[in-house]
Amino acid sequence: MSNPPTLRLKTLIVATLKLDGVRPEDIPDDEPLIGSPRFGLDSIDALELVLALEKEFGVKIGSSEESRRALGSVNALSAYLRAHVSGF
Amino acid sequence: MNPSAALTRNLGPSWGCDFLLWAHHWWPRWVFQPLLMAGTWVGLALLPVQRAHSRRYLTTVFGRPARLVEVWRHFFALTTNLTLMLRAGRGAPVACRMEPDNAAGFDALVTSDRPALFGAFHFGGSDLLGYLLGERGRRVSILRLRVGNSTDTRLLGQRFAGKVSFLWVNNPSELLFDLKVAIEAGDSVALKCDRPEFSSKTEAFQFLGASRLFPFTIYHLAMLFERPVVFCTAVPDEAEDALRVYASPVFTPDPASDREGNTRAARRHFQAVLARLEVLVRRHPFLWFNFLPLNPEAPTAHGPASQRARP
Repeated sequence: MSNPPTLRLKTLIVATLKLDGVRPEDIPDDEPLIGSPRFGLDSIDALELVLALEKEFGVKIGSSEESRRALGSVNALSAYLRAHVSGF
Repeated sequence: MNPSAALTRNLGPSWGCDFLLWAHHWWPRWVFQPLLMAGTWVGLALLPVQRAHSRRYLTTVFGRPARLVEVWRHFFALTTNLTLMLRAGRGAPVACRMEPDNAAGFDALVTSDRPALFGAFHFGGSDLLGYLLGERGRRVSILRLRVGNSTDTRLLGQRFAGKVSFLWVNNPSELLFDLKVAIEAGDSVALKCDRPEFSSKTEAFQFLGASRLFPFTIYHLAMLFERPVVFCTAVPDEAEDALRVYASPVFTPDPASDREGNTRAARRHFQAVLARLEVLVRRHPFLWFNFLPLNPEAPTAHGPASQRARP
């Protein structure tokens, strides 16, 4: 069962990337977001997700290395936002 | 990209570009031109893979088996174009004459301060798009494949230092965030849109008698960053060191439309661009500078063939 911030992230991911047929709760907390064969997300999707995260949370993800770490999984993304967004 | 990764190299010897420049400068035309033609035969003999790709491409365009002399003309056109690019990099003026169709929209965009995405193809003098933009004072990041001996790129960077910079496509995951930084900094970006191997998003479009996969990344970037897209192709003019430049209509994502609507409009725009390109390719078949397999045919006959269904 996802906690509310994690569920919010998953909902954002599904909405931003228009993952047809995928419900937020279908996204595992620890599965890689980019490059996973299950979701088929690629580098353009990663870029789109980063832009959506920046807009939603007012955070600046400045490099591909930083984004790769942040988008490692939902858990990794959640940890990244906790570290960079007050009140997340 | 990983700096330790071995870089591929352009065809030919490492001294080839410098020798071309030297020979063009010092030898009279009646010496230079025949030797360039003879050298092209040597290149043709030493590059069987590229020769085979050229023959297959020309056979597709002509609708009949291509002859060896036509493959030679294909190679020779590349050599001639490379010579022009190298000389332009060294400071030789290249006259770019805009064809009237869509010239007004292109000029309006280029002379505005609005950052844009400039698309091109490995066709004719399109590599000189960066020169055209640099000469008009545009700050532009050009996507290139980093190779071990890219003299033309080095010279272009030197000539337009401060105006033209390069983003390397060798590592797509790094590239997209480099692109993000460049676009958010207000740079325009120029990228070629005919080789699918470095693109994460390809879609199928009609081109040279088949539904073929082309990179569609430029339009995804346009929609993500709300930037206009315009394509340029250039072919040699009758005059020496001169190009005729063909601009496409400008595609601008409509903020009032949703993603699906903008994507449909983008597909229509790119199909029209490719239809225009095909006319030029059939008129100037030797200027298609992809000595690679022609864009692969789409796996299905209908609809776009993006790697994942998305609007």
